[in-house]
Amino acid sequence: MISKEEIEHVAKLMRIEIDDHVVHIDRIQKMIAYFDILDKANVESEELIVREQTIDALREDKYIPYNGKLIENLKNYKGSYVRAPKLI
Amino acid sequence: MNLGISAIKYIEEIKNGNLTAEEFVSKTIERIQKVDSKLHAYLSINEQAVEQARSIDKKIKTKENVGACMGMPISIKDNICVKETKTTCASKMLEDFIAPYDATVVSKLKIEDTIIIGKTNLDEFAMGFTTEFSAYGPSKNPWNTEYVPGGSSGGSAAAVSALECIASLGSDTGGSIRNPASFCSAVGFKPTYGLISRYGLISYSNSIEQIGPITRTVEDTAFLLNIIAGMDPHDNTTIDNQNENYLDNIDSGVEGKKIGIIKEMTQEGVDKQVSAATNKAISNFEGLGATFEEISLDMVEYSVAAYYTITATEAGSNLARYDNLRYGYDFDSEGYEFNSYLSKARKKFGPEVTRRMILGGFVPSAGHAGKYFLKAMKVKSKLTAQVNEALKKVDMLIAPTVPILPFRFGEKIDDPVALFLVDINTVTANLTEKPAISIPFEISGGLPIGIQLLGKSMQDKMLLQAAYALQNTVKLPEVPI
Amino acid sequence: MTKIGLEIHCQLTNLQSKLFCSCKANYREFSPNANICPICVGLPGSLPMLNQKAVKKATMISMALNCKIPEKIAFFRKNYFYPDLPKNFQITQFDAYGPTSIGHDGKITIEGKEIRIRRIQIEEDPGRLIYEGTSEKTQITLVDYNRAGTPLVEIVTEPDFDNPKQVRVFLNILVDLLENLGVSDPTLEGALRADGNVSVEGGNKIEIKNVTSFHDLEKAIHFEITRQQSLIERNIPIISETRQWDDRRKITISARKKEEEQDYRYFLEGDIPWVKLNADHFKKLREKMPESIASKRERYVEKYGITNQVADVLSSDKYYADLFEQSYDEKNAKEIANIITTDLMGLVDTREKREISKLTHQHLTELANSIIGNKITRNSAKTALQEMVSTGKSLIEIISERDLDNVSDESTISSIIDEVLNEEANAVQEVKEKPETVNFLVGKVMKKSKGKADPSMTLNILKKKLGIT
Repeated sequence: MISKEEIEHVAKLMRIEIDDHVVHIDRIQKMIAYFDILDKANVESEELIVREQTIDALREDKYIPYNGKLIENLKNYKGSYVRAPKLI
Repeated sequence: MNLGISAIKYIEEIKNGNLTAEEFVSKTIERIQKVDSKLHAYLSINEQAVEQARSIDKKIKTKENVGACMGMPISIKDNICVKETKTTCASKMLEDFIAPYDATVVSKLKIEDTIIIGKTNLDEFAMGFTTEFSAYGPSKNPWNTEYVPGGSSGGSAAAVSALECIASLGSDTGGSIRNPASFCSAVGFKPTYGLISRYGLISYSNSIEQIGPITRTVEDTAFLLNIIAGMDPHDNTTIDNQNENYLDNIDSGVEGKKIGIIKEMTQEGVDKQVSAATNKAISNFEGLGATFEEISLDMVEYSVAAYYTITATEAGSNLARYDNLRYGYDFDSEGYEFNSYLSKARKKFGPEVTRRMILGGFVPSAGHAGKYFLKAMKVKSKLTAQVNEALKKVDMLIAPTVPILPFRFGEKIDDPVALFLVDINTVTANLTEKPAISIPFEISGGLPIGIQLLGKSMQDKMLLQAAYALQNTVKLPEVPI
Repeated sequence: MTKIGLEIHCQLTNLQSKLFCSCKANYREFSPNANICPICVGLPGSLPMLNQKAVKKATMISMALNCKIPEKIAFFRKNYFYPDLPKNFQITQFDAYGPTSIGHDGKITIEGKEIRIRRIQIEEDPGRLIYEGTSEKTQITLVDYNRAGTPLVEIVTEPDFDNPKQVRVFLNILVDLLENLGVSDPTLEGALRADGNVSVEGGNKIEIKNVTSFHDLEKAIHFEITRQQSLIERNIPIISETRQWDDRRKITISARKKEEEQDYRYFLEGDIPWVKLNADHFKKLREKMPESIASKRERYVEKYGITNQVADVLSSDKYYADLFEQSYDEKNAKEIANIITTDLMGLVDTREKREISKLTHQHLTELANSIIGNKITRNSAKTALQEMVSTGKSLIEIISERDLDNVSDESTISSIIDEVLNEEANAVQEVKEKPETVNFLVGKVMKKSKGKADPSMTLNILKKKLGIT
């Protein structure tokens, strides 16, 4: 069971401000409670199946300049920099 | 003019001189203007569509090299980048985002002289099952506008089934192509993971999602696959499909094919009309020479929990880049401190996305990863092993696409777990990376029912052949709108 | 019992492109945000494309540091928010499902001390931040993404260092090793960075970050040890924390952001399938691996009779070693080694000087052979070398232009000697009593001949004339 404080802590971690706490918290608690079903799956000893590729399939090390206007199309730029809020 | 023709028929008509691209595209725009105020399938329309169609007609007339699509109008789900077009993911967070590049699938379509007619509506960032989570309002089901069209590619499915385009490209993470296709009586295809490039698809859950076509016929899906499938250096996860031709021999039938009926998807919790339709589909297949046996995949019970754990984790990470500093919407950062600006700016995410991101921060976190995330990954692996075992015994698996009939707006939205379970028949294909297709099978009480087939990895062609065979056993009514 | 560990970040500056896109790996020549693309700026819908050579270079580093390398490697996401991180996560490596990073459990011995390498991982560099505005109210952060996505190899050691001096020695050796491998140019600003961690007498470990040079790192570690020891003496507990090096005041200060707030939520990067490293991959790399510094040094001493000190300098600097390797043969190896490590060193001791130098290996070969063949004296050779570096002219040209021909005909030398003997009557007297002072007169002859007189011939004739042996 996830507590209100934990949800607030996670929201902070994810940089999301949630105003309507009650609405969200109730639903989130229900969702996480549902995930408890995973405990019954009995998969402790299961090996993870992973996707693989060979080293030859990787991109060749070559410099190719990007030919398109990028910085001008990003919002928030100052001169040739992107402007971000100050850091404390 | 019949706007309901298939892509293949369209090409035939163009080649025969019975039709011009300009005529068809103009008529399509008219249709959109007529019905979309009711359906809200589209978020934006290409203002230059008719003009572009005109140029293609010129090429055709002067016998220049014309691409395979010959000016047919195709719509694109609004989480796929189209150059110099607004690509919003149906979110207020990306209200002003104009993609500076084309997704690979869009480039491929453009090279073949497709007209990208517009961007279609979806649940915000593809998280949802009904388009009720779109920040710009839901889309309606063309078969009955009081009912949901399914999601998250609800706009695409509605547009295709309401003849507002010849075909559409959607994305499928847990059923987001197949579910709305089933609800709107269209063909919806999720390929083997890696068959179609995801470059330009705005990520929600990158290890599971795929782009796929939504069409009115199975042949059209095969036709589009020939254009958009294949290895892409821009997407490291794409696989070499040896330039397979998916249209070739699409009518080879199902004689001698063994099909497994997924026990966990066809018994409990299935509406009786859906059950009946499934049984009818099975007997139609038997009539064509296929044989059936029951297959049990007990990991299906945990598949939804595993799916939401994994996708929430990836979503939490994939959506982290939306800090509104480089792209997004208008909100000046003057006077703010970095972290508080981010937290305020990201309030523009809708409620469902917000909830998923909080889940996504929780389940892989240091104290909880072992209990949730790691277990979910193991369920994914075990389910994959089970499906692989099953597919050694049979050639493909069958189940209804959605266990229930399309439902009304507002009906499911308040119960998160009930909403999750709408996906129970579809997430297996995503978790196991297998190809799966929804074939429109029946209209029951005015509401569409789709049948799903799930196939072996990289055997997408076999799946299309079976789907084609099933499609030809039914004749469905025309869309009422 | 002091324990010091290091975390070194090495940019793979010798690659052409970034780790996940085809923008240039060396971003330094670009104006801000001119070396970017949708991938390294983190545009929606962009996907990483892993650089093949980066994996190969990182493998070579692991091999050179004697690490174990897994059969397949994976990439992970490290999730946190910062303005220099375009995706607000970094693609890096992490050992979640067993060892999956490019190297682990390696070791290197420096001056008899074994330093264990805990792990080596491949990851991307973030962008750069510039702060503008002075007051709290007006300050803004400016972001330049040119560096975002630059390939990095992170090397983490066990806390095996006992003192800061060992750290310095290790870093110098590591820098030479990385340069010798051809993976990184340490003279480029920011190519090599290091953080440290220090614990004293079994107490808590303190991380030191934000140190801009290796020189400062040594100072910072030294300061930190002293600080911790003084706390222990006063029975004040040492809290585990991250401290920053304050370059102005030359002290470490507590970093305000506490690391324990950070939960990076590491998970597999789904956009990059695991990379299989097969036996063939290793075999090819081993064949291509440049000879190690230690091996070169040994070869120089054993095969060419070069002295230890000269061999040290020659082998540890890639620029000199390369020049040597291209110019030497059996006969002139020792001479070339000497030219490089004595006369040449002063002329090309900085990056800028090396860049503009016009000296080629042919120049060195000619010069060495001419000295050995007595065509030119060592003195004149010094002059010729300077000319070669600044103008690139051939030896023949320089000799004729500057009249550096070795004077080696007896009569000319004889007459110069006669002149000197006339002028230096006192020295002549002294020689008769102390024969070893003859070198003074040799020197005078050299001066008169502008360094061109053959020294040994001069000595012989002089001795004959003075009647000494």
